[in-house]
Amino acid sequence: MSKKEFSYADLLETNNLLQNHGEETYWLCVTRTVQESKLFPVSAYILLSYLNAFYRWPTLLRKIEKHMPAERIADRVRNATTKIETIGTGWCLPNFYLLGREHLINMGMIRPQDGLEDVAYVLDFWKRYSLSWRRNEGHISAREANHRCQIYPERKLQVFHADQYACEAGDALHTAAGKFMAATAQYGFLASCECRVSMTAHGPYKMADNVEMLVRNFYDLSQSDYPWLDGVADDIPYNCLTVTTSVKDTHFYLVDDWGSFEAKPDYKAENICGIGLYTSDPLTETHVPVGMGSREELVKTFEDLAEKMREANTKLWRRLATFTRDQLLDAGALVYYSIIKDIAHFAGCYEIDDWMMIDERANRFRGLLNDEYSNEVLGAMLVPLTLPSSQVQEYFMMLHGNQARRVYTPFQYALLGKDDYVGTVGGMRPGTSTLPKKVDRYRTSQGPLTNAEFNARVKAFTPALASDKFRDLDETWVKYHYDTPLADEMYKIEQQYSRKLKGKGAGLRRADVEALRDKS
Amino acid sequence: MARLFVDTDKFSDGEGPPIVDAYHSALKDLVRRKFDEAGGHWNDFVFGKAQELITAKDIEAVEARLLATGHRFTVSAMISQRERPEAYKAVAGNEDAATFSFEHADAKVEAVDAQGREARGQGDNVVQNAKNTIGVARYFRNNDNVMDCLNNGVPDNTIAIIDDSGGTLTAPILEKFKGVICAGGTIRSHLGILTREYGIPCLMNARISGIREGDTVEIETSGPAKTGEMYQRGEDGSVRIWKHVKK
Repeated sequence: MSKKEFSYADLLETNNLLQNHGEETYWLCVTRTVQESKLFPVSAYILLSYLNAFYRWPTLLRKIEKHMPAERIADRVRNATTKIETIGTGWCLPNFYLLGREHLINMGMIRPQDGLEDVAYVLDFWKRYSLSWRRNEGHISAREANHRCQIYPERKLQVFHADQYACEAGDALHTAAGKFMAATAQYGFLASCECRVSMTAHGPYKMADNVEMLVRNFYDLSQSDYPWLDGVADDIPYNCLTVTTSVKDTHFYLVDDWGSFEAKPDYKAENICGIGLYTSDPLTETHVPVGMGSREELVKTFEDLAEKMREANTKLWRRLATFTRDQLLDAGALVYYSIIKDIAHFAGCYEIDDWMMIDERANRFRGLLNDEYSNEVLGAMLVPLTLPSSQVQEYFMMLHGNQARRVYTPFQYALLGKDDYVGTVGGMRPGTSTLPKKVDRYRTSQGPLTNAEFNARVKAFTPALASDKFRDLDETWVKYHYDTPLADEMYKIEQQYSRKLKGKGAGLRRADVEALRDKS
Repeated sequence: MARLFVDTDKFSDGEGPPIVDAYHSALKDLVRRKFDEAGGHWNDFVFGKAQELITAKDIEAVEARLLATGHRFTVSAMISQRERPEAYKAVAGNEDAATFSFEHADAKVEAVDAQGREARGQGDNVVQNAKNTIGVARYFRNNDNVMDCLNNGVPDNTIAIIDDSGGTLTAPILEKFKGVICAGGTIRSHLGILTREYGIPCLMNARISGIREGDTVEIETSGPAKTGEMYQRGEDGSVRIWKHVKK
């Protein structure tokens, strides 16, 4: 197979992306907490997932782009609740893959230049996807935006704003929403094997002078991709949920690509003053309200869903308590590795063997992954960067730490015009799993579907807002064309399920929306 | 024997932690041997013959050699020790839960005060509450502890003492705790996040001594919450943990 020719500019850009991802990874790891568990072998599964990503993601991303280009998938995702946003694609997509590469370099299994075409492609996929997903704020990452994630267009924010129910600490809605979020977060941690990828947040969005909105998303809640949720989560009626939370007297000064946020003064749930609940997936036009017909209905919906989460949480814990270490290792590794699986769902090409298996090339390393080695090497690879590949010349001062270290090994420019590298790890190899066989039943907005039905329906469906007619009508276009029938038509598509804005069109400003809200 | 690309490294000063050094040195030896065996150019080896020649069995042998030296692994997940007790160090307190207590060297211990409270340590308060939280200390360190409460109920007034800052070990019973003392993590750990969401008083990063199953304990949850900025500035800001001494 002929190799891709790399120009000097190609390598410069690839190395720039590597360095940026490395610096942000270091900052996130230094400022966030260590993830640990007595139940799951967390570090071991993280390492296995990184290796699996290294061997499989280049092939799978290329397969996805045969169906739909990255930047157009991101156009659809901007209008939906899906895992492929801040945490999934913002950080995990490039960094899981690159950490797998760095681990293999340190084991002597590969040279830095082995897989050059794959690395360049994965980073280019990420770049196009991220630029598209973040096009309304114009950044490539939360880091570049000084840790903000302002993704949505005005038309969607107006619907969220208008339809939110006001609440205050101690009232029935505030209490029910709080219990729902606690139960769902708890269940999400368990369903995702201790990691936090079942939830994220983006924003902030300015709702009023003293009110900011964070959009909080929860994923993979129902019977869908994870085999361990079969028989556990079948009764959870939504696979993904979005909770819009307006918070008073609190400024979210940091929202990062892990979906973490920091606020001044410190965030307190008692300051939540507005709540909404939505779902969506690859088969919905836009966010669909859940239980939003009335305040009372929303309280009841939060309470019912919280109870379903509690039941699933208990059932799942009992099941996981019977798992072997290999099963717990596989489940955790597959949660991490499949963090970007929704890209395949949105492209209509999801397959179990692609996303719920450990590739034989990665599985070879299972025998290394005892608790102690896994903890030590993962720590050394991230903070304090003590592995050999991290060490660089002594005059260098790395960002955030000033050590002569770096997270990712760049490509040498000496490779230009030479043939001394291997382009790709090659295609898919057989995978394995110790987990029970997945039941062919996936919860969607159109009810439970088989994998084949789900893919077929996605392939047959183009959301109107993602059609040629509307998809490139961005915020700048709206600014200068808001009074046109085309702008009205686009806004009305977004407003179709809105209790307060249905049919209102494109002419409203934020104050107009505020005036339309329920006052109690 | 073949030299690997990474064998020439101007700035490397070792492989990092000792177990990583042991493993990576052995793995590199394995790669050198297999590369020699395969012959030819590295470009044909790395994603070609290496994938057939470097097998799971070869990699398992690396671990076997380390265990043969007498090394035993430190446990993170309890299942690891349970399945392979011969490969992992024993976990303190698993055998005699009734008399076990965490003994952290940096726990601040003070004499009994006028209210009959003996300071037995400190921790980082997740949320400032109106009052201190008083309850009965119970350790939760493995699945058996949790399963027992799942089947029989969590006793009233339980203040759970946990050395796992994750959110999954106690997932099905966490909501029933009156309070939590976690000997690990920070206020941002998953357990910290969940207790805040549930409104359960909780101290993270706790350092304690001499608190045993069934002791009445009081945690200073009326004290100030620790903030993210305090961690970054290296400020202590911890609040106290007392044991009530029987008269």
